[in-house]
Amino acid sequence: MIDELRRLREEALDAFASARDVGELERLRVRYLGRKEGLVSGVLRRLGSLTPEERPSVGAAANRARKLLAEALQDRLSEVTAARPATERALDLTLPPRRKWRGTIHPVSQVIDDIWRIFQSLGFARARGPEVDTEWYNFVALNTPLDHPAADEQDTLYLAPGLLLRSHTSPVQIRTMERYPPPIRILAPGMVYRRDTYDATHTPAFAQIEGLVVDEGVTFVDFKATLAEFARRFWGPGTQVRFRPSFFPFTEPSAEVDVKRVIVREDGREEETDWIEIMGAGMVDPAVLDNVGYDSERYTGWAFGMGPARVAMLRHGVRDLRLFYENDMRFLGQFT
Amino acid sequence: MKVSYRWLRDVAPGIGLTVDEAMARLALRGAPVEAVEDLAAGLRDIVVGQVLDARPHPNADRLTLCRVLGPDGEVPVVCGAPDVRSGSFYPFAPVGARLPGGFRIGKRKIRGHFSQGMLCSERELELGDDQAGIMLLEGDYEAGAAFATAAELDDHRLDVEVTPNRGDLLSHVGIARELHPVGQGGIVLPAFPAGAGLEGSFARGGSESASAGVRIRIEDPELCSRYLGAVIRGVTVGPSPRWLANRLRAAGARPINNVVDATNYVMLELGQPLHAFDLDRLAGATIVVGRARPGESLVTLDGEARTITPEMLMIRDADRPVAIAGVMGGRDSEVSSESTDILLECAHFEPKQVRATRRALGMSTDASYRFERWVDPATMETAMLRAAELVLAVAGGELDGEVIDACPAPWEAPVVSLRPSRVRHLLGVEFSSAELVALLAPLGYREARTGSDVVDFVIPGHRGYDTLREVDLIEEVARTYGYDTFPSALSAFRPGTVPDDPVFQLEDRLRGRLAGDGISEAQTPALGPPRHGDVPLLNPMSADESHLRRDRLPGLLTHLERNLARGVRDVRLFELGTAFAPGDNVAAVPRESARVAVVLHGRRAPLQWSGADGRMDVHDIAGVVELIAGEAFPGGRVLPAGAAAGGWGGPVLDGAPLLVPERCYQLVDAMGAVVGWGGEIRAGAMDLPPWAGTVVGAEAVLPSSPAPGVAVTARELPDQPASQRDVAFLLPAGTGAGDVLEAARAGGGRLLEEAEIFDLYEGGDLPPGARSVAIRLRFRARGRTLTDKEVDRSCRRVLKKVKGATGVEPRS
Repeated sequence: MIDELRRLREEALDAFASARDVGELERLRVRYLGRKEGLVSGVLRRLGSLTPEERPSVGAAANRARKLLAEALQDRLSEVTAARPATERALDLTLPPRRKWRGTIHPVSQVIDDIWRIFQSLGFARARGPEVDTEWYNFVALNTPLDHPAADEQDTLYLAPGLLLRSHTSPVQIRTMERYPPPIRILAPGMVYRRDTYDATHTPAFAQIEGLVVDEGVTFVDFKATLAEFARRFWGPGTQVRFRPSFFPFTEPSAEVDVKRVIVREDGREEETDWIEIMGAGMVDPAVLDNVGYDSERYTGWAFGMGPARVAMLRHGVRDLRLFYENDMRFLGQFT
Repeated sequence: MKVSYRWLRDVAPGIGLTVDEAMARLALRGAPVEAVEDLAAGLRDIVVGQVLDARPHPNADRLTLCRVLGPDGEVPVVCGAPDVRSGSFYPFAPVGARLPGGFRIGKRKIRGHFSQGMLCSERELELGDDQAGIMLLEGDYEAGAAFATAAELDDHRLDVEVTPNRGDLLSHVGIARELHPVGQGGIVLPAFPAGAGLEGSFARGGSESASAGVRIRIEDPELCSRYLGAVIRGVTVGPSPRWLANRLRAAGARPINNVVDATNYVMLELGQPLHAFDLDRLAGATIVVGRARPGESLVTLDGEARTITPEMLMIRDADRPVAIAGVMGGRDSEVSSESTDILLECAHFEPKQVRATRRALGMSTDASYRFERWVDPATMETAMLRAAELVLAVAGGELDGEVIDACPAPWEAPVVSLRPSRVRHLLGVEFSSAELVALLAPLGYREARTGSDVVDFVIPGHRGYDTLREVDLIEEVARTYGYDTFPSALSAFRPGTVPDDPVFQLEDRLRGRLAGDGISEAQTPALGPPRHGDVPLLNPMSADESHLRRDRLPGLLTHLERNLARGVRDVRLFELGTAFAPGDNVAAVPRESARVAVVLHGRRAPLQWSGADGRMDVHDIAGVVELIAGEAFPGGRVLPAGAAAGGWGGPVLDGAPLLVPERCYQLVDAMGAVVGWGGEIRAGAMDLPPWAGTVVGAEAVLPSSPAPGVAVTARELPDQPASQRDVAFLLPAGTGAGDVLEAARAGGGRLLEEAEIFDLYEGGDLPPGARSVAIRLRFRARGRTLTDKEVDRSCRRVLKKVKGATGVEPRS
């Protein structure tokens, strides 16, 4: 009888597996598991024909078989119901795919991330600093005395006398050099604040990226080469880079860096852009190194600051900076 | 600095640059041109017309009938001016010409006579305010020639961006010196029309000097190292001659009167601000340069009553202040049409003093702008004599006596040493001493001494403020050599000592996770209205951005509101940013924390054909909080807020929790601290359209030093089949399904591999408020197949535990 049970079990499992709809499964349930005529129940009913010694083990085996088959039937039943459309009607492959929401990373974050990846490969690490800082870190330590007209260039938001929202990411230069000895190779992205009214190219809060390199033997030649390398990797190998003299209190010599890109038009023609200013930069002023206790006769360095939102505007053809900060889902959703 | 290209060429005749070349050269010298304006653009159609004869119009008193010789021969012109002179030349707009304002001249018939063109006034050509009559051109011209060229008005105005260290570029001579290949040597000061030259002599003195009955005394040599005064008697104040007015206009200045225009001309030419006093208005014919006395005030030229304080340096007469030194003159002593005797001032003021004063007064003038950026002390005498000569040429009068020269602190040119080795150290290129001298000499840096490894340079007056260190000279070397001439070669670098900041790394991971979960990154300012923050700004731009935000969520919600207001119904935004709490230390430096915030509204998935687009609710935000926990707080848990003890610590707005506490979760880190909140936003905290549904949001405080990721130890996969049991429970109202699940998990022992709710049902034949919760239990043992008996036993334990913990029994 044990053998009969085993045979029944195998037969039933095969039948379940090949059943294709609910009706067939119901017929199989009655055939094997039905209380009156079911084949497994039939075995149980015949227990009386066995010796008392045989009865418990066969009975248990029959119960096990019934339970197992009941579970298998239930499983197959749910499979069949779930798969019903596939079996009952042809698939309409012209239906749009079953989609999920797609989130996007902010276009300015994407630019920062792309810039970071390039500098990461050039040996840089990222550094952070507070957004509320003191006049010392924001101006004085950066060789910008408050009684010099250079301090006017950035109209600053104050919390209290001497305490301000940083107007650039350059304070991170000072804070990092105070904490770590040379060599320094850092990139410092972060939010900065100016007393600007909203217009197509200004917002009071915006992102900036600072870069700083300090070591022995760092020269104007390395400075030019590294930033040119960055520009070519970011904007493409055909990119030309130009360094123009400028003035920042914390670098000397100071430079504005312009790029001229090759863009491919929709009809495939290549076209050169005008020179576009992308960053302010320069050799770290020795006074800045002195202010953090570095030996400025031994160590030299260079630094830059750039606005990723401006870069994002150029990259995506956005004419109004404010779009980046309105956070309209229809705008953000484009930057997949 | 607005530069007239003609003026530039006049002071540097050998410059040989077109406008475009000059602009390109300036850009590469560090003074880019922001804008260029073709001043003759509106005058292209205007020609020189010669009036052959003129007679009164027979049908009108005030009109004149003229025959005008222009480019197309003789034409009849009816002119509105009564005094047209035969044989004279006038600017003429022929038929078809366009005036600067855009008006097009047509053929017209005026009172029975044809007019084929127009003789123009200064006002019609936008060359001045004189509308009294048509503009007579003095001298001999060719009829039909282009008017702009003939009148020397074909010019370009360059708007040059001058950096704060280059006060020396705030003049035409300064710009020319920078552009000229031979530098200073190529500069000439052109003779004035009707100028007679002036060989002035100086009455030299220390703190005090006098001449022509006028006495000058400097009380504060630290703030005013030198003061020159020239007395000119018998001037006739009136409009400037046309050449002078045109020149000022071309450089963006407004002509005022001949005396004031003469001082402005010299300022724009040489960079030295000057001032003219009406000598009769100076009490005691005396100038005293000294600090203001307490309680004094002054009405300045612009009519403003200025409150002056004793720190400010004033120009005084015998009784009272008459000018704010280096900033602006007083109205009472201003040169007017009645003035006959004047005193010209040419002084050197200390930059920081001028800057402090004009900032305290909240004003900036052409003079203060230059003084605070340093004015060349070596050019003062030239400027004084040139101004005096120009006044004599355009306003008449005579120089009385010697130029008064009070000079308590003569300027001495600084000497700066430059080491070729240091040049190489910074710039990476080798320059010999001779090469350095050759690069710097044209800019006025004179070689004083050359040693074995050092060259001493004498700094010229015009760079005497910002070129005082070796590195300043090195910049001049680099600039003159040409930044683009330097090679560009990557060299090896040593790794830095600074580790990559872990908060940035955490933010990167969160950004990827949340965007991957269908939420878009927003960026909002950290500034908000007072209800969004506790840390006020001292000088906010607007009431809407007057405070630093205490949480990010309220700001993000305003962006959700804006999306809904624009009809965008499905909004899922997250943000990474800083929040600020009031500082508790003496310096009151706010405490900053990095935050992540999320808001969700609308469908769970895009509108589609197969359902699955239900509206998001608290359970969705709970999932997002769990996702944040997974990245930022290993071992952290998301719990219903009610389960945690203590008061509300989450985001607040208008003094109340921003989230509904009964529909809110807390994120608890592995140490048990509450670090985040997520739930339904209180309806009263938002301004939403009536159709809006539930808004859920979350905010978490990111760890300031996130733990480095720990490598997971992989578990082996099971080699035995699992046994599964489904159990349904009937939950009375008020019993948490999660509590039942929790109890089930706790009761299953080590054989229970997993327990999950797979069905939740209410209504139908269930008692009101009751729910049926179906839990699937999966049992498995390592290394062997479980027997039914074992599974049954475990199941019973689960049921017992559930009943013990929650009182709930399985459905029969």
